[in-house]
Amino acid sequence: MSKFVGQRVKRTEDPRLIKGLGHYVDDIRLPDTLHVAFLRSMYAHARITNIDVSEAMNTPGVVAVYTGRDLGEKIGPVPCAAALPDLKVPDHRPLASDKVYFVGHPIAAVVATDRYAARDAVDLIMVDYEELAVVVDPEEAAKGGAVVHEKFGDNVAYKLTAGEGDIDAALASADKVIKQRILNQRLAPIAMEPRGVLARYLPGEEELTVWSSTQIPHLLRTQLALMIGIPENKLRVITPEVGGGFGSKLNVYGEEALLGWISMQLGKPVKWIETRRENMASTIHGRGQVGYIEVGCRNDGTITGLRYNVFADLGAYHQLLTPAIPTLTGLMLSGCYKIPAIQINVTGVFTNKMATDAYRGAGRPEATYVVERAADLVAAELGLDPVEVRRRNFPKPDEFPFKTATGLFYDSGNYEAALDKALQNADYARLREEQKRARDEGRIIGIGVSTYVEICALGPSQAMPAGGWESATVRIEPTGKVTILTGASPHGQGQETSFAQIAADELGVDIGDVTVIHGDTSIVQYGIGTFGSRATAVGGTAVYIAIERLKEKANKIAAHLLQADISKVVWDENGFNLEPEPAKVAAGAGVPEADLPAGQAPGASLPEPQIEGKKSLSLQDIALAAHLAKDLPPDMEPGLSATYFFEPKNFTFPFGTHIAIVEIDRETGEIKFQRYVAVDDCGKVINPMLVDGQVQGGIVQAIGQALYEEVVYDEQGQLVTGTLMDYAVPKAAMLPWFELDRTETPTDVNPMGVKGVGEAGTIGATPAIVNAVVDALSPYGIRHIDMPIKPENVWKIVNQQS
Amino acid sequence: MKIEGTHELQARRERVFQALTDPEVLKRCIPGCEQLEKTGENSYAATLRAGVGSIKGTFKGNVRLEEIRQPEHYRMIVDGKGQPGFLKGTGAIDLEEQGDATIIRYAGDVQVGGTIASVGQRMIQGAAKMMASQFFTAIEAEAKTEANDPPPKHGFFRTALRWFSGWVRRRFRKKSGA
Repeated sequence: MSKFVGQRVKRTEDPRLIKGLGHYVDDIRLPDTLHVAFLRSMYAHARITNIDVSEAMNTPGVVAVYTGRDLGEKIGPVPCAAALPDLKVPDHRPLASDKVYFVGHPIAAVVATDRYAARDAVDLIMVDYEELAVVVDPEEAAKGGAVVHEKFGDNVAYKLTAGEGDIDAALASADKVIKQRILNQRLAPIAMEPRGVLARYLPGEEELTVWSSTQIPHLLRTQLALMIGIPENKLRVITPEVGGGFGSKLNVYGEEALLGWISMQLGKPVKWIETRRENMASTIHGRGQVGYIEVGCRNDGTITGLRYNVFADLGAYHQLLTPAIPTLTGLMLSGCYKIPAIQINVTGVFTNKMATDAYRGAGRPEATYVVERAADLVAAELGLDPVEVRRRNFPKPDEFPFKTATGLFYDSGNYEAALDKALQNADYARLREEQKRARDEGRIIGIGVSTYVEICALGPSQAMPAGGWESATVRIEPTGKVTILTGASPHGQGQETSFAQIAADELGVDIGDVTVIHGDTSIVQYGIGTFGSRATAVGGTAVYIAIERLKEKANKIAAHLLQADISKVVWDENGFNLEPEPAKVAAGAGVPEADLPAGQAPGASLPEPQIEGKKSLSLQDIALAAHLAKDLPPDMEPGLSATYFFEPKNFTFPFGTHIAIVEIDRETGEIKFQRYVAVDDCGKVINPMLVDGQVQGGIVQAIGQALYEEVVYDEQGQLVTGTLMDYAVPKAAMLPWFELDRTETPTDVNPMGVKGVGEAGTIGATPAIVNAVVDALSPYGIRHIDMPIKPENVWKIVNQQS
Repeated sequence: MKIEGTHELQARRERVFQALTDPEVLKRCIPGCEQLEKTGENSYAATLRAGVGSIKGTFKGNVRLEEIRQPEHYRMIVDGKGQPGFLKGTGAIDLEEQGDATIIRYAGDVQVGGTIASVGQRMIQGAAKMMASQFFTAIEAEAKTEANDPPPKHGFFRTALRWFSGWVRRRFRKKSGA
């Protein structure tokens, strides 16, 4: 039955969000709340020789000031969950004590009766710094010179080599080996809602509640309990509405622990809402890889080997997954190609900057960019059409599950089908002709193709630092309403809608009768969270299987009540029917069942289920019978709910083809999109509108990386792009219309056949855009250009200025 | 970041140099200067209210003069810190005699940090140029007075008026020269 799944159901979240009726952390107001503001380092690397808080303490409204020295080791270190061999892990506390390691490093927390007093008092804290040598560039950091963490002796946090096949032999025997330096610049995730924490300790109950704008409420609860030293069952984490995360809230931040701890010290609620400037400086950044590729190929375009030596700019500290992100790059270096030999050599280095971590795509956009640039470099070297090079290296649909030289098994795929559809939608052959004509007219037009595969539905627990499963509880309430508790913590992706679609179809109820609850650790069973395009593929599957379990029980109750053998009970959209092919009128025949209208009068008593003589029972009949428990099969538990923890046996590997067509303004170097065509394959689609939205948003962020965005630190480690005036996020007027389409190749990793789509756009689109610009500039002898591709750089090329 | 510029002052070089190295005069002429005290031979402690755009605050710091070759050259070393961040820099100031007028050339390297770096960096050069204009206009007024005259009054409108009249004069001269 598929009344809702596959339909463009409007997001049930939207009315409240559009009307401004949603509740974000800052909308939650508790009486007597104190406000916290942070003093942050203005130096990238310095010794703190003295901190004088006396003037700040004497400011009216100020309740307390905490410094790193006050804290000592009272709050455990900010955790890093990445387990890599010989990883150097600096001691990372919520507040700096002796040294600051990056601009924005928190030094002191001021607690005051209002946020203005807190901020004013921050300005009155006097800090004496002794400046230390700064290292900003990751390659310089790896070489030596200034050292971020003295006790480690150098800046190399770890080195890692991965991949299979004899890369040296592959490159040595290749007809051509092409080398290129490739930059994946640092980006800021820029969630529209910055971070925010509200913590309330109840001294009587000894309970701490932390409201935080996070993607991982349960993991955060566990980590905060350990950091603060409060029993986990006395700590409740609530994530109200979250205004975007993009990976930046897939983390455990010092501020979250500190706010909880301060509330416990003061016995009052305390709140901190991050400012945009703090967000730019002190929320994790993404990407930050400088690498060197060597790609070997035969003259016919067959890629025989790929080596990627990369310096990963980790920043000064490890946040939750900082060192693990480049390992995802290594895993995805095969792209959607059969490459027999692949090697990645990662050098993770400390720099005097904010930590990098997961940002939409998290290591995979970097890989896709490397592979897709490599494919175009091969095409340029051999004078082949970039499409042909891709086609030549695809595994065929019957080769799946396909094993890569990076050790993965791609579940399913039909790369050529997506490519063909995209070429057809774009009318590729005609585009190339038009490009030729345009060049003759002196116009500069480029066509860029990217065929990508990504790793989603993270993932099997074996491959994850803290569990890769997801949980769901499905309950039918006595009135027949359906409640879903999901351990995934959606924050804008729309799973309140898509999970309700699944439940409505599977249970034969209206979508309006389903409520999806998430993000409250006291209400929802333990879950992992929303990241890595996993919420639907793993969390949705948990919902789906929990419903199947629940239906098994409902079937038993139905058989019992209908006094029939369970094999005779057939389920359809009308409920549980005794005979196959029942008359369609069975449930709709006006039988006054336990059908409670929404406007049921308060205090009305529950009706008794009327079973006798019926041949069909609605879900509501069953739910009521299960709760009243007057007549259930022997030994059956009352109630009608089921919980399922779904452990996927593999990742999923969605894929697709993105084609960008750009025109360059000769006078200004500006890059304008003529068209943007994408065909994505994320397996079975539950809500095409949500999938479109995810793809669109992803492409926008990819355009940001390709053309505009770049976190810039100057030579002294000062953050130059500290506001949205200086950090260029693309605006609506800079975007083309996205011509989106899909192919659908299901996966057998989960019973619904869904793969995940949250990061597809940032992964597939970035190289398509850069390939298009390079293609446009190829008559000028250009084979590569670094991101963000600024008009000034393009102008210099077009006007032959070095 | 590099900061450099040229100003023409309608005053004699000796007087300009004197004004530029007299703490009392400097205190009157540096925009936003709240305090300037001599702390040693050619070194001063200063308190300055300054800012770029919305990022304003009080800076405290030290100024030291080196390589003094009266009346044509000295080097200035500045180091200051305040709520909006810090600034450090060195710069050379050269005075060239041109009849009764003096051409001042300054060139320096300034490093800023903290909020002024992350918010205001792209505006700092403009702000510095504006402050330099205000400063040299005020110095010009000081240097035009005779040694025992009472000092001229400064302030936003007077300085703006003096700057404007200087601008008109220079424009006029350019045109007539062409």
